[in-house]
Amino acid sequence: MPRFVRMLFVVALLVLFPVSFANAQMPPPADKVFSLAASRSDDRVLTLRWTVEPGNYLYRDSLEVSMEGKTLPLEIPAGEEKDDPNFGHVQIFHDSVEGRLPGLPGAGKLQIRYQGCAEQGICYPAVAKIVDLETLAISGVRLGLGGEIAAERSVQGEQRTVWSSANAAATDPAEESATSYLVGNPFLMAAGFLGFGLLLAFTPCVFPMIPILSAMLAGAGGQLSVGRGFVLSSAYVLAMAAAYGIVGLVAGWSGANLQAALQTPAALLSAATVFIALALSMFGFYEIALPSALATRLSGGRSGGSALGAAVLGLGSALIVGPCVTPPLAAAMLFAVQSGEAAKGAAALFFLGLGMGLPLIAFGAFGARILPRSGSWMVSIRQGFGIVFLGVAAMLVSRLLTPPPALALWGALAIGTGVFLGGFDAIRATSNWQRRLGKAAGLTVSLYGAALVVGAAGGASDPSRPLAFIAGQDTARTQSAGVLRVNSPASFDAAVAANSGKPILVSFGADWCTVCKSNDALMERPDIRKRLDALPVIDVDVTRQDAGARALMTRFAVVGPPTLFFLDAEGREVPGSRMIGPITADEIAGHLSPAGA
Amino acid sequence: MDRRQFCRAAAVAPLLIAMSRQRAFAQNADVKAILHDPEAPEAGNPKGDVTIVAFTDYNCPFCKKSEPDLNRIIKDDGKVRLVYKDWPILSEASVYGAQLALAAKYQGKYDLVHHALMAIPGKKIPKPKMLEAVKASGIDMNRLNADLKARSASISTLLQRNMDQATALGLEGTPTYLIGPFRTMALDYAGFKEALAEARRRQAAGDRIE
Repeated sequence: MPRFVRMLFVVALLVLFPVSFANAQMPPPADKVFSLAASRSDDRVLTLRWTVEPGNYLYRDSLEVSMEGKTLPLEIPAGEEKDDPNFGHVQIFHDSVEGRLPGLPGAGKLQIRYQGCAEQGICYPAVAKIVDLETLAISGVRLGLGGEIAAERSVQGEQRTVWSSANAAATDPAEESATSYLVGNPFLMAAGFLGFGLLLAFTPCVFPMIPILSAMLAGAGGQLSVGRGFVLSSAYVLAMAAAYGIVGLVAGWSGANLQAALQTPAALLSAATVFIALALSMFGFYEIALPSALATRLSGGRSGGSALGAAVLGLGSALIVGPCVTPPLAAAMLFAVQSGEAAKGAAALFFLGLGMGLPLIAFGAFGARILPRSGSWMVSIRQGFGIVFLGVAAMLVSRLLTPPPALALWGALAIGTGVFLGGFDAIRATSNWQRRLGKAAGLTVSLYGAALVVGAAGGASDPSRPLAFIAGQDTARTQSAGVLRVNSPASFDAAVAANSGKPILVSFGADWCTVCKSNDALMERPDIRKRLDALPVIDVDVTRQDAGARALMTRFAVVGPPTLFFLDAEGREVPGSRMIGPITADEIAGHLSPAGA
Repeated sequence: MDRRQFCRAAAVAPLLIAMSRQRAFAQNADVKAILHDPEAPEAGNPKGDVTIVAFTDYNCPFCKKSEPDLNRIIKDDGKVRLVYKDWPILSEASVYGAQLALAAKYQGKYDLVHHALMAIPGKKIPKPKMLEAVKASGIDMNRLNADLKARSASISTLLQRNMDQATALGLEGTPTYLIGPFRTMALDYAGFKEALAEARRRQAAGDRIE
């Protein structure tokens, strides 16, 4: 089940941030490929240094410097010769080139132009920059048709710091567009979220609503007509959707990241408690009954009262399943927050909730009459639900635990499941095949659970290989010495400085981010671990969306965890090294090679 | 989550919001205006089932390298509509070349001039050399000069519009080909063929860009 939720989360990412996906094949912008730095060696000589990302080159004859309309002589070395029928005879620079400008005044503005191509097959438009001779600050110039200067970019910035390219990414028009397109089409937006919610309806998260709804319908007494069932379940679903709508309203209005708030230990623990309570009731320890006053109103038969009761239940249900559907809900809320408009955020989440509830309406209208009232098999179904609820609780709690205790928790759950399946019931010669099958299944599950508990005691974290430590493989999570946890720009810069001259893996993660956990687990694999050990890792912790975390996310144009990328020896992000969302072993291995690890 | 699951998730996404792919197409870009600009010259099959939009510059070597393969695939395939977007960004002479080609459109000879300019090898072709190639193409130069003068305003407007569309799409450079729902750099014959096949597959699955 966590797998399915995770899949939904990826769907959400793809839907909400299609841009990263769609642009995967497209080259990075010229500003990311060619970077310019200016320095003054002694008072009069200005050195311009162009750095060219691998796979790209600059044309030697395109490097131009002018001041007040006059071209200045730039001393540049001879370039590599390139002779190609399509290119003619040209000189180019790979990697980097330095040009010298002697005899400059101490103040004034230099205009610098350069142009190049990517070997993959695209030529970038000319890039123009202004260098202020007094401060050596570099600013960008927007160019129009034929490379004429259209307008000086008002944003000053792009300092000579190593971050200039990363900053440029934040204002990349394509990056901002994902949400604006969605927001621009209210109908499409609503339809999209409705469909998304419909998918969510088929997760076990929404299952708890079925017994609640059926209890309510059964409580309504007598034979339910289709129309009556429809009215009751619609009231229930609309109220649930409204609850989500309120969350969206708050998210859009506050602009804060509620994703984090819903994933605090307190919220997770209370949600887990609710699920355990639900599970116990499924196992028959007690019956969750409606307060008698409410029950009377529900069964009173007066439509007004009943619909209201259904609505109250719907609101409550939204709160119950809320924490379970958090990963996809969080993605939806991130959208609501980004849209920055309360109405749109509310509409988005309302439709998400409506989508989740549509099957319930169908169930209420048409399923009510064929609803099984009783029967011994219902007990098994209820127990099945109970186990699923316990699983949900375990999943919620395991986010707060380190992997070995979490593994033990799953092991205990598996053993319990085995017991309920009849693994330890006595078999007699007269027992029928169902009992025998149940016992076999129960014993198998219990055995697996035992292996998990033993594995946890041995420090394992991988549920598919809990006993690997016996084979002598070191599965203990030895944090490599090079992992630095930071949560503010200052500590980040210090961490980079401490590892200057080395490629660095930067990982944005958060305690509430389940995908991050599975990524971490993947990176613990011995074959990958071995290669990562040589690499300093900066772990940017954005669990709390405080000012420091937000500043770092803005600096690197990170939309949310998990985001991984590499910094080169000079502290610049390696283009194309960014990995967003769940990663695979192949991907990380593929990215490690170019990063020099 | 392994790659297979990821792919499955990726396959579900377009169903949820078919426009996510169009989003590759963009932000404030009006897709219809890009695909059906009445002023933009077209070639290939006007009723073709896939459209290729070519953003090119007459001083762009990669455009010149891809050009013969593009022409060949359009002829061989027979069901591709081609829309030309002159996007002169590399030099001032590129703008001049684009003006010549667009002026030729008024005597129905855009293709002729476009091919003549694309056939000049090299990356820093000055204006006189471009003019020479256009003259040698056999076009009616008197008519061309007259149109260049009389239509200069609409030609400039079109060039600016192409530029705006490229910006809105977030294109990084030339050549950029929009092939159905995809966006590519320079391609060879096999590359175009594959992109067209994939575009048709996507369109058959309902991801149609109109």
